[in-house]
Amino acid sequence: MGQRVIEMDNLTKIFGEKLIAVNNVNLAVEKGAIFGFLGPNGAGKTTTIRLLLGLIRPTAGEVRVFGERMTPESSSLRRRMGYLPTNPRFPSKMTPITYLDFVGKLFRLGREVRMERLSSLIRSVGLLGDSSREIAGFSTGMVTRLGLAAALMNDPELLIFDEPTSGLDPAGRKSTLDLIAELGKEKTIFVSSHILSDIDRICTDVGVISEGKGIFSGSIKDMKKRTRSHVVRLELEGDAGKFCESLRATKWVAGFETRGGFGVDITFDPVMPMADAIREVTNLVSAHGLDLISISSSTSSIEDAFMELLRDEESRGFLRAG
Amino acid sequence: MKSRVGSSEQASRREALGPFWAIARADLKGLFRSRITYGWLLAAVFIEVVTTLGSRSNGTTSSVVTSGLSDYIYVWSLVIIGLAASSVSSEVGELADSILSKSVTRFDYVLAKFASRVAYTLIGFSVLTALLVGLTLRLEADDYTVLGLASAILLIALTLVMLTTLGVGLSIVLPNSVTAIVTLLLLWYSMTIFFPVIGLGLLSPGSLVSNLPDIVKGAWNWGNWETVAGFVAISGASTALSSAYFYMKDI
Repeated sequence: MGQRVIEMDNLTKIFGEKLIAVNNVNLAVEKGAIFGFLGPNGAGKTTTIRLLLGLIRPTAGEVRVFGERMTPESSSLRRRMGYLPTNPRFPSKMTPITYLDFVGKLFRLGREVRMERLSSLIRSVGLLGDSSREIAGFSTGMVTRLGLAAALMNDPELLIFDEPTSGLDPAGRKSTLDLIAELGKEKTIFVSSHILSDIDRICTDVGVISEGKGIFSGSIKDMKKRTRSHVVRLELEGDAGKFCESLRATKWVAGFETRGGFGVDITFDPVMPMADAIREVTNLVSAHGLDLISISSSTSSIEDAFMELLRDEESRGFLRAG
Repeated sequence: MKSRVGSSEQASRREALGPFWAIARADLKGLFRSRITYGWLLAAVFIEVVTTLGSRSNGTTSSVVTSGLSDYIYVWSLVIIGLAASSVSSEVGELADSILSKSVTRFDYVLAKFASRVAYTLIGFSVLTALLVGLTLRLEADDYTVLGLASAILLIALTLVMLTTLGVGLSIVLPNSVTAIVTLLLLWYSMTIFFPVIGLGLLSPGSLVSNLPDIVKGAWNWGNWETVAGFVAISGASTALSSAYFYMKDI
Protein backbone atom coordinates (compact mmCIF):
# COMPACT_ATOMS: atom_id res chain seq x y z
CA MET A 1 0.00 0.00 0.00
CA GLY A 2 1.36 3.46 -0.94
CA GLN A 3 1.68 6.45 1.31
CA ARG A 4 -1.69 7.96 2.13
CA VAL A 5 -2.02 11.66 1.52
CA ILE A 6 -5.69 11.98 2.50
CA GLU A 7 -7.61 9.81 4.96
CA MET A 8 -11.21 10.35 5.99
CA ASP A 9 -12.44 8.28 8.92
CA ASN A 10 -16.17 8.23 9.63
CA LEU A 11 -16.30 11.82 8.48
CA THR A 12 -19.63 13.42 9.32
CA LYS A 13 -20.90 16.97 9.02
CA ILE A 14 -24.32 18.03 10.24
CA PHE A 15 -25.39 21.63 9.77
CA GLY A 16 -27.55 23.09 12.51
CA GLU A 17 -28.80 19.68 13.68
CA LYS A 18 -30.95 19.66 10.54
CA LEU A 19 -28.98 18.80 7.45
CA ILE A 20 -26.64 15.81 7.27
CA ALA A 21 -24.34 17.01 4.51
CA VAL A 22 -21.66 14.34 4.95
CA ASN A 23 -22.58 11.04 6.54
CA ASN A 24 -19.87 8.74 7.88
CA VAL A 25 -17.59 8.91 4.84
CA ASN A 26 -14.43 6.78 4.77
CA LEU A 27 -11.91 7.11 2.01
CA ALA A 28 -8.20 7.24 1.38
CA VAL A 29 -6.15 8.83 -1.38
CA GLU A 30 -2.66 7.57 -2.03
CA LYS A 31 0.32 9.63 -3.05
CA GLY A 32 0.49 10.22 -6.79
CA ALA A 33 -3.16 9.36 -7.45
CA ILE A 34 -5.57 11.47 -9.45
CA PHE A 35 -8.63 10.85 -7.34
CA GLY A 36 -12.01 11.68 -8.80
CA PHE A 37 -14.70 12.55 -6.29
CA LEU A 38 -18.00 11.87 -7.99
CA GLY A 39 -21.52 12.64 -6.96
CA PRO A 40 -24.72 14.26 -8.18
CA ASN A 41 -25.36 17.93 -7.39
CA GLY A 42 -26.00 18.42 -3.67
CA ALA A 43 -24.39 15.08 -2.75
CA GLY A 44 -21.95 16.68 -0.29
CA LYS A 45 -18.84 17.01 -2.47
CA THR A 46 -18.11 20.66 -1.67
CA THR A 47 -18.79 20.17 2.05
CA THR A 48 -16.32 17.25 2.05
CA ILE A 49 -13.74 19.44 0.32
CA ARG A 50 -14.28 22.24 2.84
CA LEU A 51 -13.73 19.72 5.63
CA LEU A 52 -10.61 18.52 3.85
CA LEU A 53 -9.26 22.07 3.78
CA GLY A 54 -10.15 22.76 7.41
CA LEU A 55 -12.57 25.53 6.42
CA ILE A 56 -15.23 23.87 8.57
CA ARG A 57 -15.01 21.43 11.45
CA PRO A 58 -16.45 17.89 11.29
CA THR A 59 -19.35 17.04 13.57
CA ALA A 60 -17.84 13.56 14.00
CA GLY A 61 -14.91 11.62 12.59
CA GLU A 62 -11.79 13.24 11.20
CA VAL A 63 -9.78 14.13 8.11
CA ARG A 64 -6.04 13.54 8.06
CA VAL A 65 -3.85 15.15 5.44
CA PHE A 66 -0.20 14.08 5.17
CA GLY A 67 -0.89 11.99 8.29
CA GLU A 68 -1.95 14.97 10.43
CA ARG A 69 -5.41 15.93 11.58
CA MET A 70 -6.80 18.87 9.58
CA THR A 71 -8.34 21.76 11.55
CA PRO A 72 -9.03 25.43 10.76
CA GLU A 73 -5.71 26.25 12.42
CA SER A 74 -3.67 23.79 10.31
CA SER A 75 -2.03 26.52 8.25
CA SER A 76 1.18 24.50 7.96
CA LEU A 77 -0.74 21.66 6.26
CA ARG A 78 -2.49 24.04 3.90
CA ARG A 79 0.93 25.37 2.95
CA ARG A 80 1.43 22.06 1.13
CA MET A 81 -1.97 22.17 -0.58
CA GLY A 82 -3.46 24.04 -3.51
CA TYR A 83 -7.19 24.63 -3.93
CA LEU A 84 -9.37 25.73 -6.82
CA PRO A 85 -13.00 26.37 -5.75
CA THR A 86 -15.99 25.78 -8.05
CA ASN A 87 -16.61 29.42 -8.88
CA PRO A 88 -13.46 31.19 -7.78
CA ARG A 89 -13.98 34.78 -6.63
CA PHE A 90 -11.13 37.21 -6.32
CA PRO A 91 -10.84 40.83 -5.18
CA SER A 92 -12.15 42.57 -8.30
CA LYS A 93 -9.80 45.57 -8.14
CA MET A 94 -6.68 43.38 -8.19
CA THR A 95 -4.82 42.32 -11.32
CA PRO A 96 -3.42 38.78 -11.87
CA ILE A 97 0.02 40.08 -10.82
CA THR A 98 -1.17 41.72 -7.60
CA TYR A 99 -3.44 38.81 -6.76
CA LEU A 100 -0.79 36.12 -7.23
CA ASP A 101 1.67 38.26 -5.27
CA PHE A 102 -0.95 38.47 -2.49
CA VAL A 103 -1.43 34.68 -2.59
CA GLY A 104 2.34 34.22 -2.40
CA LYS A 105 2.41 36.38 0.72
CA LEU A 106 -0.39 34.27 2.25
CA PHE A 107 1.92 31.28 1.73
CA ARG A 108 4.77 33.21 3.35
CA LEU A 109 6.90 33.06 0.20
CA GLY A 110 9.85 35.43 -0.12
CA ARG A 111 9.68 38.24 -2.68
CA GLU A 112 12.12 36.63 -5.09
CA VAL A 113 10.28 33.28 -5.12
CA ARG A 114 6.94 35.07 -5.49
CA MET A 115 8.05 37.07 -8.51
CA GLU A 116 9.61 34.06 -10.19
CA ARG A 117 6.57 31.84 -9.66
CA LEU A 118 3.94 34.38 -10.57
CA SER A 119 5.62 35.31 -13.82
CA SER A 120 6.00 31.68 -14.91
CA LEU A 121 2.44 30.79 -13.83
CA ILE A 122 0.87 33.78 -15.59
CA ARG A 123 2.61 32.62 -18.76
CA SER A 124 1.62 28.97 -18.24
CA VAL A 125 -2.09 29.73 -17.84
CA GLY A 126 -2.10 32.11 -20.80
CA LEU A 127 -2.85 35.35 -18.93
CA LEU A 128 0.30 37.21 -19.93
CA GLY A 129 -1.61 39.69 -22.10
CA ASP A 130 -4.07 40.40 -19.28
CA SER A 131 -1.64 40.37 -16.38
CA SER A 132 -2.11 44.07 -15.61
CA ARG A 133 -5.87 44.18 -16.19
CA GLU A 134 -8.33 44.32 -13.27
CA ILE A 135 -9.91 40.92 -12.53
CA ALA A 136 -13.38 42.57 -12.58
CA GLY A 137 -13.53 42.31 -16.39
CA PHE A 138 -12.41 38.67 -16.68
CA SER A 139 -14.47 35.89 -18.32
CA THR A 140 -15.25 32.62 -16.47
CA GLY A 141 -12.44 30.86 -18.31
CA MET A 142 -9.91 33.54 -17.39
CA VAL A 143 -11.01 33.49 -13.75
CA THR A 144 -10.61 29.69 -13.69
CA ARG A 145 -7.14 29.97 -15.20
CA LEU A 146 -6.18 32.57 -12.61
CA GLY A 147 -7.58 30.27 -9.91
CA LEU A 148 -5.40 27.47 -11.25
CA ALA A 149 -2.34 29.70 -11.13
CA ALA A 150 -3.22 30.70 -7.54
CA ALA A 151 -3.62 27.03 -6.58
CA LEU A 152 -0.12 26.34 -7.91
CA MET A 153 1.58 29.40 -6.44
CA ASN A 154 3.00 27.49 -3.46
CA ASP A 155 4.09 24.51 -5.61
CA PRO A 156 1.81 22.20 -3.57
CA GLU A 157 2.15 18.44 -3.15
CA LEU A 158 -1.64 18.01 -3.03
CA LEU A 159 -4.07 19.79 -5.33
CA ILE A 160 -7.79 20.00 -4.69
CA PHE A 161 -10.09 21.00 -7.52
CA ASP A 162 -13.81 21.50 -6.91
CA GLU A 163 -15.67 21.11 -10.22
CA PRO A 164 -12.83 22.68 -12.20
CA THR A 165 -14.60 22.53 -15.57
CA SER A 166 -17.82 24.11 -14.34
CA GLY A 167 -18.96 26.91 -16.65
CA LEU A 168 -16.15 26.44 -19.18
CA ASP A 169 -16.60 26.17 -22.94
CA PRO A 170 -15.38 22.94 -24.64
CA ALA A 171 -11.94 24.39 -25.43
CA GLY A 172 -11.49 25.69 -21.87
CA ARG A 173 -12.68 22.37 -20.49
CA LYS A 174 -10.23 20.40 -22.59
CA SER A 175 -7.26 22.59 -21.69
CA THR A 176 -8.17 22.42 -17.97
CA LEU A 177 -8.42 18.62 -18.07
CA ASP A 178 -5.14 18.37 -20.00
CA LEU A 179 -3.48 20.56 -17.41
CA ILE A 180 -4.82 18.44 -14.52
CA ALA A 181 -3.60 15.26 -16.23
CA GLU A 182 -0.18 16.88 -16.72
CA LEU A 183 -0.03 18.01 -13.07
CA GLY A 184 -1.05 14.50 -12.02
CA LYS A 185 2.33 13.22 -13.21
CA GLU A 186 4.02 15.02 -10.30
CA LYS A 187 1.35 15.71 -7.70
CA THR A 188 -1.51 14.05 -5.87
CA ILE A 189 -4.81 15.40 -7.13
CA PHE A 190 -8.29 15.31 -5.61
CA VAL A 191 -10.85 16.48 -8.13
CA SER A 192 -14.60 16.64 -7.57
CA SER A 193 -17.05 16.58 -10.43
CA HIS A 194 -20.46 15.45 -11.52
CA ILE A 195 -19.25 15.24 -15.12
CA LEU A 196 -18.47 11.54 -15.44
CA SER A 197 -16.57 11.74 -18.71
CA ASP A 198 -14.10 14.22 -17.14
CA ILE A 199 -13.39 11.82 -14.29
CA ASP A 200 -13.12 8.85 -16.67
CA ARG A 201 -10.63 10.76 -18.78
CA ILE A 202 -8.13 11.87 -16.16
CA CYS A 203 -8.56 9.92 -12.92
CA THR A 204 -6.85 6.77 -11.70
CA ASP A 205 -9.08 6.29 -8.66
CA VAL A 206 -12.56 7.32 -7.76
CA GLY A 207 -14.81 7.88 -4.77
CA VAL A 208 -18.57 8.17 -5.14
CA ILE A 209 -20.79 10.10 -2.76
CA SER A 210 -24.57 10.21 -2.79
CA GLU A 211 -26.76 12.09 -0.31
CA GLY A 212 -23.72 12.57 1.91
CA LYS A 213 -22.80 8.88 2.05
CA GLY A 214 -19.69 7.41 0.50
CA ILE A 215 -20.93 4.55 -1.66
CA PHE A 216 -17.75 3.52 -3.45
CA SER A 217 -14.01 4.05 -3.24
CA GLY A 218 -11.45 2.30 -5.41
CA SER A 219 -9.92 2.30 -8.87
CA ILE A 220 -11.96 3.28 -11.93
CA LYS A 221 -11.37 -0.25 -13.22
CA ASP A 222 -12.91 -1.74 -10.05
CA MET A 223 -15.87 0.56 -10.37
CA LYS A 224 -16.54 -0.51 -13.93
CA LYS A 225 -16.10 -4.19 -13.03
CA ARG A 226 -18.90 -3.91 -10.51
CA THR A 227 -21.34 -3.29 -13.31
CA ARG A 228 -20.32 -6.11 -15.62
CA SER A 229 -23.61 -6.57 -17.44
CA HIS A 230 -22.60 -9.15 -20.09
CA VAL A 231 -23.85 -7.02 -22.90
CA VAL A 232 -22.20 -6.50 -26.29
CA ARG A 233 -23.36 -3.41 -28.14
CA LEU A 234 -23.19 -3.51 -31.97
CA GLU A 235 -23.78 -1.00 -34.70
CA LEU A 236 -24.35 -2.68 -38.07
CA GLU A 237 -24.89 -1.77 -41.67
CA GLY A 238 -27.10 -4.02 -43.78
CA ASP A 239 -30.25 -6.05 -43.23
CA ALA A 240 -30.03 -7.27 -39.61
CA GLY A 241 -33.29 -9.25 -39.74
CA LYS A 242 -31.72 -12.65 -40.45
CA PHE A 243 -28.89 -11.88 -38.03
CA CYS A 244 -31.48 -11.35 -35.27
CA GLU A 245 -33.22 -14.62 -36.14
CA SER A 246 -29.88 -16.40 -35.78
CA LEU A 247 -29.35 -14.75 -32.42
CA ARG A 248 -32.70 -16.11 -31.23
CA ALA A 249 -31.53 -19.64 -32.08
CA THR A 250 -28.09 -19.26 -30.50
CA LYS A 251 -27.62 -21.07 -27.18
CA TRP A 252 -25.28 -18.59 -25.41
CA VAL A 253 -27.44 -15.56 -26.22
CA ALA A 254 -29.68 -14.80 -23.24
CA GLY A 255 -31.51 -12.04 -25.10
CA PHE A 256 -31.12 -9.09 -27.45
CA GLU A 257 -32.62 -5.74 -28.17
CA THR A 258 -32.53 -3.63 -31.32
CA ARG A 259 -31.86 0.11 -31.18
CA GLY A 260 -33.03 2.27 -34.07
CA GLY A 261 -32.39 0.74 -37.47
CA PHE A 262 -28.81 -0.36 -36.96
CA GLY A 263 -28.05 -1.02 -33.28
CA VAL A 264 -28.27 -4.34 -31.48
CA ASP A 265 -27.52 -4.99 -27.78
CA ILE A 266 -26.84 -8.67 -27.15
CA THR A 267 -26.97 -10.05 -23.60
CA PHE A 268 -24.94 -13.24 -23.35
CA ASP A 269 -24.80 -16.08 -20.85
CA PRO A 270 -22.79 -14.95 -17.77
CA VAL A 271 -20.66 -18.14 -17.87
CA MET A 272 -19.37 -17.14 -21.30
CA PRO A 273 -16.14 -15.10 -21.14
CA MET A 274 -16.38 -11.65 -22.75
CA ALA A 275 -13.61 -12.36 -25.27
CA ASP A 276 -15.37 -15.52 -26.51
CA ALA A 277 -18.67 -13.70 -26.75
CA ILE A 278 -17.12 -10.95 -28.89
CA ARG A 279 -15.46 -13.54 -31.16
CA GLU A 280 -18.73 -15.44 -31.65
CA VAL A 281 -20.65 -12.23 -32.35
CA THR A 282 -18.17 -11.03 -34.98
CA ASN A 283 -18.25 -14.47 -36.66
CA LEU A 284 -22.03 -14.29 -36.78
CA VAL A 285 -21.92 -10.76 -38.25
CA SER A 286 -19.51 -11.92 -41.00
CA ALA A 287 -21.61 -15.01 -41.70
CA HIS A 288 -24.63 -12.77 -42.47
CA GLY A 289 -22.62 -10.45 -44.72
CA LEU A 290 -23.14 -7.38 -42.50
CA ASP A 291 -20.73 -4.48 -42.05
CA LEU A 292 -19.68 -3.94 -38.45
CA ILE A 293 -19.56 -0.17 -37.77
CA SER A 294 -18.72 -0.45 -34.07
CA ILE A 295 -18.67 -2.91 -31.22
CA SER A 296 -18.42 -2.13 -27.53
CA SER A 297 -18.95 -3.68 -24.16
CA SER A 298 -21.36 -1.62 -22.09
CA THR A 299 -19.25 -2.41 -19.02
CA SER A 300 -16.74 0.17 -20.26
CA SER A 301 -19.04 3.09 -19.51
CA ILE A 302 -18.42 4.93 -16.25
CA GLU A 303 -21.91 6.41 -16.61
CA ASP A 304 -23.45 2.92 -16.33
CA ALA A 305 -21.24 2.08 -13.36
CA PHE A 306 -22.14 5.34 -11.63
CA MET A 307 -25.86 4.97 -12.27
CA GLU A 308 -25.81 1.41 -11.01
CA LEU A 309 -24.04 2.48 -7.81
CA LEU A 310 -26.68 5.14 -7.24
CA ARG A 311 -29.51 2.66 -7.93
CA ASP A 312 -27.93 0.13 -5.53
CA GLU A 313 -27.64 2.76 -2.83
CA GLU A 314 -31.22 3.91 -3.38
CA SER A 315 -32.62 0.37 -3.12
CA ARG A 316 -30.52 -0.28 -0.01
CA GLY A 317 -31.95 2.93 1.42
CA PHE A 318 -35.49 1.63 0.83
CA LEU A 319 -34.58 -1.68 2.48
CA ARG A 320 -33.15 0.15 5.50
CA ALA A 321 -36.29 2.29 5.70
CA GLY A 322 -38.47 -0.84 5.45
CA MET B 1 26.63 36.17 16.29
CA LYS B 2 24.10 37.95 18.45
CA SER B 3 22.99 40.13 15.57
CA ARG B 4 22.64 37.09 13.30
CA VAL B 5 20.35 35.42 15.89
CA GLY B 6 18.43 38.68 16.19
CA SER B 7 17.95 38.99 12.43
CA SER B 8 16.83 35.36 12.07
CA GLU B 9 14.33 35.93 14.89
CA GLN B 10 13.12 39.03 13.12
CA ALA B 11 12.81 37.11 9.86
CA SER B 12 10.79 34.32 11.47
CA ARG B 13 8.54 36.87 13.19
CA ARG B 14 8.06 38.60 9.84
CA GLU B 15 7.26 35.26 8.24
CA ALA B 16 4.76 34.37 10.98
CA LEU B 17 3.01 37.72 10.51
CA GLY B 18 3.18 37.47 6.70
CA PRO B 19 -0.47 36.47 6.07
CA PHE B 20 -1.74 38.98 8.65
CA TRP B 21 0.11 41.88 6.99
CA ALA B 22 -0.82 40.69 3.51
CA ILE B 23 -4.54 40.57 4.30
CA ALA B 24 -4.51 43.86 6.22
CA ARG B 25 -2.61 45.70 3.47
CA ALA B 26 -4.76 44.27 0.67
CA ASP B 27 -7.93 45.23 2.56
CA LEU B 28 -6.66 48.72 3.28
CA LYS B 29 -5.63 49.24 -0.34
CA GLY B 30 -9.05 48.06 -1.50
CA LEU B 31 -10.77 50.48 0.89
CA PHE B 32 -8.72 53.48 -0.19
CA ARG B 33 -9.42 52.69 -3.84
CA SER B 34 -13.17 52.56 -3.29
CA ARG B 35 -15.59 55.25 -4.43
CA ILE B 36 -17.03 55.46 -0.92
CA THR B 37 -13.68 56.71 0.36
CA TYR B 38 -13.31 59.30 -2.38
CA GLY B 39 -16.89 60.44 -1.76
CA TRP B 40 -16.39 60.64 1.99
CA LEU B 41 -13.13 62.58 1.80
CA LEU B 42 -14.37 65.01 -0.83
CA ALA B 43 -17.66 65.69 0.97
CA ALA B 44 -15.95 66.08 4.34
CA VAL B 45 -13.29 68.45 2.99
CA PHE B 46 -15.95 70.56 1.28
CA ILE B 47 -18.13 70.78 4.40
CA GLU B 48 -15.15 71.51 6.68
CA VAL B 49 -13.88 74.31 4.48
CA VAL B 50 -17.32 75.89 4.06
CA THR B 51 -18.18 75.62 7.78
CA THR B 52 -14.85 76.92 9.00
CA LEU B 53 -14.68 79.82 6.58
CA GLY B 54 -18.30 80.66 7.40
CA SER B 55 -17.42 80.82 11.11
CA ARG B 56 -14.52 83.18 10.58
CA SER B 57 -16.37 86.25 11.82
CA ASN B 58 -18.33 84.87 14.77
CA GLY B 59 -16.90 81.43 15.66
CA THR B 60 -14.47 80.49 18.41
CA THR B 61 -11.89 77.72 18.11
CA SER B 62 -13.71 75.48 20.59
CA SER B 63 -17.07 75.84 18.86
CA VAL B 64 -15.71 75.27 15.35
CA VAL B 65 -13.58 72.28 16.42
CA THR B 66 -16.54 70.81 18.30
CA SER B 67 -18.78 71.23 15.30
CA GLY B 68 -16.21 69.59 13.01
CA LEU B 69 -15.55 66.71 15.39
CA SER B 70 -19.24 66.12 16.07
CA ASP B 71 -19.71 65.48 12.35
CA TYR B 72 -17.78 62.22 12.88
CA ILE B 73 -20.25 61.11 15.53
CA TYR B 74 -23.45 62.07 13.73
CA VAL B 75 -22.65 62.02 10.01
CA TRP B 76 -19.37 60.36 9.01
CA SER B 77 -20.06 57.51 11.42
CA LEU B 78 -22.44 56.28 8.70
CA VAL B 79 -19.49 55.64 6.38
CA ILE B 80 -17.61 53.83 9.13
CA ILE B 81 -20.70 51.79 10.05
CA GLY B 82 -21.20 50.73 6.41
CA LEU B 83 -17.60 49.71 5.86
CA ALA B 84 -16.90 48.11 9.25
CA ALA B 85 -20.14 46.15 9.49
CA SER B 86 -19.66 44.60 6.05
CA SER B 87 -15.97 43.78 6.43
CA VAL B 88 -16.22 40.05 7.12
CA SER B 89 -19.84 39.16 6.29
CA SER B 90 -19.47 40.46 2.72
CA GLU B 91 -16.59 38.07 2.13
CA VAL B 92 -18.08 34.89 3.60
CA GLY B 93 -18.24 32.26 0.85
CA GLU B 94 -15.87 31.89 -2.06
CA LEU B 95 -13.83 35.00 -1.29
CA ALA B 96 -13.11 34.02 2.32
CA ASP B 97 -12.53 30.42 1.19
CA SER B 98 -9.96 31.54 -1.33
CA ILE B 99 -8.03 33.26 1.47
CA LEU B 100 -8.58 30.79 4.32
CA SER B 101 -7.68 27.80 2.12
CA LYS B 102 -4.12 29.19 2.01
CA SER B 103 -1.55 29.08 4.79
CA VAL B 104 -3.72 31.35 6.93
CA THR B 105 -5.24 30.83 10.37
CA ARG B 106 -8.60 32.23 11.30
CA PHE B 107 -6.96 34.62 13.75
CA ASP B 108 -4.65 35.93 10.99
CA TYR B 109 -7.70 36.69 8.88
CA VAL B 110 -9.96 38.22 11.48
CA LEU B 111 -7.31 40.26 13.28
CA ALA B 112 -6.12 41.60 9.92
CA LYS B 113 -9.69 42.75 9.25
CA PHE B 114 -9.84 44.54 12.61
CA ALA B 115 -6.44 46.13 12.00
CA SER B 116 -7.18 47.32 8.47
CA ARG B 117 -10.60 48.77 9.29
CA VAL B 118 -9.30 50.57 12.40
CA ALA B 119 -6.32 51.87 10.41
CA TYR B 120 -8.69 53.06 7.66
CA THR B 121 -10.87 54.93 10.16
CA LEU B 122 -7.87 56.52 11.85
CA ILE B 123 -6.15 57.52 8.60
CA GLY B 124 -9.34 59.11 7.24
CA PHE B 125 -9.97 60.83 10.58
CA SER B 126 -6.37 62.07 10.84
CA VAL B 127 -6.33 63.56 7.36
CA LEU B 128 -9.63 65.38 7.82
CA THR B 129 -8.86 66.47 11.39
CA ALA B 130 -5.49 67.87 10.33
CA LEU B 131 -7.35 70.02 7.79
CA LEU B 132 -9.96 71.01 10.37
CA VAL B 133 -7.33 72.02 12.92
CA GLY B 134 -5.27 73.81 10.29
CA LEU B 135 -8.26 75.90 9.25
CA THR B 136 -9.52 76.47 12.78
CA LEU B 137 -6.25 77.71 14.18
CA ARG B 138 -6.45 80.65 11.79
CA LEU B 139 -9.55 81.94 13.60
CA GLU B 140 -9.09 85.04 15.69
CA ALA B 141 -11.09 83.94 18.70
CA ASP B 142 -8.82 81.20 20.02
CA ASP B 143 -10.16 79.79 23.27
CA TYR B 144 -8.27 76.47 23.29
CA THR B 145 -5.27 74.85 24.96
CA VAL B 146 -3.01 72.55 22.95
CA LEU B 147 -3.51 69.74 25.44
CA GLY B 148 -7.26 70.28 25.43
CA LEU B 149 -7.41 70.23 21.63
CA ALA B 150 -5.26 67.07 21.46
CA SER B 151 -7.41 65.40 24.15
CA ALA B 152 -10.62 66.18 22.26
CA ILE B 153 -9.19 64.78 19.02
CA LEU B 154 -7.92 61.61 20.74
CA LEU B 155 -11.27 61.08 22.45
CA ILE B 156 -13.13 61.24 19.15
CA ALA B 157 -10.51 58.96 17.57
CA LEU B 158 -11.09 56.46 20.38
CA THR B 159 -14.85 56.71 19.88
CA LEU B 160 -14.44 55.94 16.19
CA VAL B 161 -12.14 53.01 16.98
CA MET B 162 -14.86 51.67 19.27
CA LEU B 163 -17.45 52.08 16.50
CA THR B 164 -15.17 50.30 14.02
CA THR B 165 -14.45 47.35 16.31
CA LEU B 166 -18.15 47.03 17.10
CA GLY B 167 -18.86 47.03 13.35
CA VAL B 168 -16.24 44.41 12.48
CA GLY B 169 -17.39 42.36 15.49
CA LEU B 170 -21.00 42.42 14.30
CA SER B 171 -19.96 41.55 10.74
CA ILE B 172 -18.32 38.43 12.17
CA VAL B 173 -21.19 37.41 14.40
CA LEU B 174 -24.18 38.24 12.20
CA PRO B 175 -24.96 36.26 9.04
CA ASN B 176 -25.05 39.08 6.49
CA SER B 177 -23.95 42.65 5.93
CA VAL B 178 -27.42 44.23 5.92
CA THR B 179 -28.29 42.76 9.32
CA ALA B 180 -24.92 43.84 10.73
CA ILE B 181 -25.26 47.40 9.38
CA VAL B 182 -28.83 47.83 10.68
CA THR B 183 -27.87 46.40 14.08
CA LEU B 184 -24.88 48.72 14.36
CA LEU B 185 -26.94 51.73 13.30
CA LEU B 186 -29.49 50.97 16.02
CA LEU B 187 -26.76 50.37 18.59
CA TRP B 188 -24.80 53.50 17.68
CA TYR B 189 -27.74 55.88 17.72
CA SER B 190 -29.09 54.26 20.90
CA MET B 191 -25.73 54.87 22.55
CA THR B 192 -25.63 58.43 21.25
CA ILE B 193 -29.19 59.47 22.00
CA PHE B 194 -30.67 57.16 24.65
CA PHE B 195 -27.70 56.26 26.90
CA PRO B 196 -27.74 59.68 28.63
CA VAL B 197 -31.49 59.24 29.32
CA ILE B 198 -30.94 55.91 31.11
CA GLY B 199 -27.96 57.12 33.16
CA LEU B 200 -25.22 55.75 30.92
CA GLY B 201 -24.11 59.16 29.70
CA LEU B 202 -20.45 58.30 30.26
CA LEU B 203 -20.68 55.73 27.48
CA SER B 204 -22.59 57.99 25.14
CA PRO B 205 -20.85 59.59 22.16
CA GLY B 206 -23.62 62.24 22.30
CA SER B 207 -22.64 63.27 25.84
CA LEU B 208 -19.02 63.31 24.77
CA VAL B 209 -19.86 65.78 22.00
CA SER B 210 -21.63 68.07 24.44
CA ASN B 211 -18.51 68.05 26.68
CA LEU B 212 -16.13 68.77 23.82
CA PRO B 213 -16.09 72.62 24.05
CA ASP B 214 -14.90 72.39 27.67
CA ILE B 215 -12.32 69.71 26.82
CA VAL B 216 -10.92 71.84 23.97
CA LYS B 217 -10.62 74.74 26.41
CA GLY B 218 -8.54 72.52 28.69
CA ALA B 219 -11.11 71.35 31.26
CA TRP B 220 -10.61 67.63 31.84
CA ASN B 221 -12.54 65.79 34.52
CA TRP B 222 -12.68 62.32 36.07
CA GLY B 223 -15.77 61.48 34.03
CA ASN B 224 -13.69 61.75 30.84
CA TRP B 225 -11.33 59.06 32.14
CA GLU B 226 -14.34 56.85 32.77
CA THR B 227 -15.48 57.43 29.21
CA VAL B 228 -12.00 56.48 27.92
CA ALA B 229 -11.97 53.33 30.06
CA GLY B 230 -15.49 52.41 28.92
CA PHE B 231 -14.70 52.86 25.22
CA VAL B 232 -11.43 50.91 25.51
CA ALA B 233 -13.25 48.11 27.32
CA ILE B 234 -16.02 47.97 24.69
CA SER B 235 -13.44 47.91 21.86
CA GLY B 236 -11.40 45.17 23.56
CA ALA B 237 -14.42 43.07 24.42
CA SER B 238 -15.84 43.38 20.91
CA THR B 239 -12.53 42.33 19.33
CA ALA B 240 -11.90 39.45 21.73
CA LEU B 241 -15.41 37.99 21.77
CA SER B 242 -16.02 38.21 18.03
CA SER B 243 -12.56 36.76 17.26
CA ALA B 244 -13.27 33.85 19.59
CA TYR B 245 -16.64 33.36 17.91
CA PHE B 246 -15.02 33.41 14.45
CA TYR B 247 -12.51 30.82 15.62
CA MET B 248 -15.30 28.44 16.59
CA LYS B 249 -17.97 29.01 13.97
CA ASP B 250 -18.45 27.33 10.59
CA ILE B 251 -17.84 29.86 7.86
